[in-house]
Amino acid sequence: MTEQTPVETGPQDQVVVIARVFDAPRQVVFDVWTNPDHVAKWWGPDGFHSPLDTIEIELRVGGRYHLTMVQDQTGAHYPLRYEIVELVPPELIVLRSEPMPDMGMHEPTVTRVELHDEGGRTRMHLTDGPYTVSEHAEGGWNGSFGKLDALLRSL
Amino acid sequence: MPTDHLSATFAALADPTRRAILGRLAEGDATVNELAAPFAVSQPAISRHLKVLERAGLIERSRSAQARPSSLRVERLRQATDWIETRRTTWERRVERLDRYLEDIQKGTTQ
Repeated sequence: MTEQTPVETGPQDQVVVIARVFDAPRQVVFDVWTNPDHVAKWWGPDGFHSPLDTIEIELRVGGRYHLTMVQDQTGAHYPLRYEIVELVPPELIVLRSEPMPDMGMHEPTVTRVELHDEGGRTRMHLTDGPYTVSEHAEGGWNGSFGKLDALLRSL
Repeated sequence: MPTDHLSATFAALADPTRRAILGRLAEGDATVNELAAPFAVSQPAISRHLKVLERAGLIERSRSAQARPSSLRVERLRQATDWIETRRTTWERRVERLDRYLEDIQKGTTQ
């Protein structure tokens, strides 16, 4: 059984944070993230598949991490283009996306996957974002925006 | 998903003064004068920010009253937060599949 960990959110919701424990050794989880044969089997998400021949992973800093998600029903293609910006096998892989306007991502996002060994099991800590990038890198949504968060919650 | 709307919305939200203006409008409608008061920027600068927010669909400005008070349009803001929620759901589902796949291959190696 795999421990279900509630999905956590960042304080202002601009970064997706997912923590999860897998009942598998860290090296296996790392392989599943970095070997195209494996990636093709799970990347999805539901309703999509990622054909093996669209997956290109150059396992080095500066290398490509490219794949194309294909929507099962429509056949629509959604290419994902990441660059590996940090890599510490089997502990860490950090991907930076190119802007993907078709996916609604007009700014680069960073997907950080940390894998922690827990006695034969693996705790994964994944962050993905930010989804509201300031052109001037002024640090996301500031305190005054908290009022809006409160407002939205009250609706 | 309406990405063109959203890019305008996120671009508008990328500026701290504009977010502060929205924060003020969340408390109630306000005129340019009222909005400019807490900021060290001129009224014309506030007016420019309001134009950006209006184009992004985040506020409405009264056409009838002379002072043209601005009001928050919550639905557009909601679309922005819904979109982030979509990204979160995508990753949740992806990790679910990763989990199932790991279970499958672990079974394979132990048999």
